[in-house]
Amino acid sequence: MDKPYKLLIIDDEAEILATFNNFFREKKYDVISASNGLDALKLIESEKEGFDLIVTDLVLPNIGGTAIIKIAKKKWPEMPIIAMTGWGEHPQALAREAQADLVLNKPFDLFTLEKKIIELIKK
Amino acid sequence: MPMNVPLIGVSAEIEKIRDLIKHVADTGLNVIITGESGVGKEVVAQNLYHTSSRRGKPFVKINCAALPDGLLESELFGYEPGAFTGAVRKKKGRFELANKGVLFLDEIGEMSNMLQAKLLHVLQSGEYAPLGSERECRTDTWVIAASNRRLEEDIKNGIFRKDLYYRLSTIKIHIPPLRERPEDIPCLVDYYLKQYDPQLNRKTNDKLDEKILSVLMEYSWPGNVRELQNLLKRFIVMGDYDEVINEILYRKSMAEDLIGSETSTKEMPESSNLPDKNFVKFSNFSSLSLKEIKKKATDQAEKGAISYVLGKTNWNRSKAAKILKISYKTLLVKISELNIKAQ
Repeated sequence: MDKPYKLLIIDDEAEILATFNNFFREKKYDVISASNGLDALKLIESEKEGFDLIVTDLVLPNIGGTAIIKIAKKKWPEMPIIAMTGWGEHPQALAREAQADLVLNKPFDLFTLEKKIIELIKK
Repeated sequence: MPMNVPLIGVSAEIEKIRDLIKHVADTGLNVIITGESGVGKEVVAQNLYHTSSRRGKPFVKINCAALPDGLLESELFGYEPGAFTGAVRKKKGRFELANKGVLFLDEIGEMSNMLQAKLLHVLQSGEYAPLGSERECRTDTWVIAASNRRLEEDIKNGIFRKDLYYRLSTIKIHIPPLRERPEDIPCLVDYYLKQYDPQLNRKTNDKLDEKILSVLMEYSWPGNVRELQNLLKRFIVMGDYDEVINEILYRKSMAEDLIGSETSTKEMPESSNLPDKNFVKFSNFSSLSLKEIKKKATDQAEKGAISYVLGKTNWNRSKAAKILKISYKTLLVKISELNIKAQ
């Protein structure tokens, strides 16, 4: 790719966030990450050009993933968002209603995620 | 319009809440504020309102625990003339009154299942029907809810709807109890003393001295900021440092006795129903008020009776509720509050 894709990745589990960071940085993505909803919201507020795609966990303390999706979609309606959810009882329906383009159930492998990311960006 | 009461405190927790308020107030997303009684949930709701662009529009508050079910429903949604006997003229509901502004639903955990379902419908569709009305009304209301209950527990026990919780808790703000942030006490004291005694020209002039502050900061404040407010009001009336100190030390010893007695209760075998043994349990309650002893005794008796009936009915809760002549919901609440578990 000419210009690296700019991703915002949000997850409150440090380990998952670090894994994502490493994986996508190695693949030459421009990765910005946040470990909670408030930090993510601040990044969204201050970002002028927008991201190519956001990947967010749905269950976060304080500001949940559905809030992030709604706020980001209001600012950049065209920007694709992938929501991640784990272990059954999480609010997938709300995420779809908040217009997440894709909801992935944890665990999934990172190659699948990358494939989906590229598909969504190129759409 | 509510007063613009500032959120007082210097603790990291309060700073974080201020930061959250600043960033979410204009998103219009539903908020749920949790925390023990007296921590200041309404103050946070008011701050959200004053920070948002809805400021100046209506701020309507309703306490879901204060009204019986049917009344709460007509308060929320209003009714048309002839909706029921006595409904002579149209009544506007709180959703209509709060249109374009904020509806603050306090003690949301006390709402019945039926009303929870209706509320969910409004949140999903932005529409509601007043009682006795055929048409749906649109509402543009920012719903801020609050609860002192552990709603996650209530969901597990089937008392609170999971889908409603997810919808309300798009943004969650938890206010920790005062005992977890004693560093906020000096500025709370300063603020409220000035509020209650604007002249502040008596003995309170040079603030409270260090010794009193340290007593205040070491106390556990089960009633949180509200308890502190009441104490300061009394202090201003009495104007006497020693009285305040004594009062706090007395409450502290009471709290310690309560903790002590709880540990000793746990050591007692559950099956001891003999009155003299019950008496032993209360023997170290000497400094407790009669009201608290009564509450303890009632709790114990209720726990015993409910466990017994649940055991006999094989934990069939609806059967047990019938035998105990209480509603199913009350039974669920009691099971969770009294921490009753299957043997």
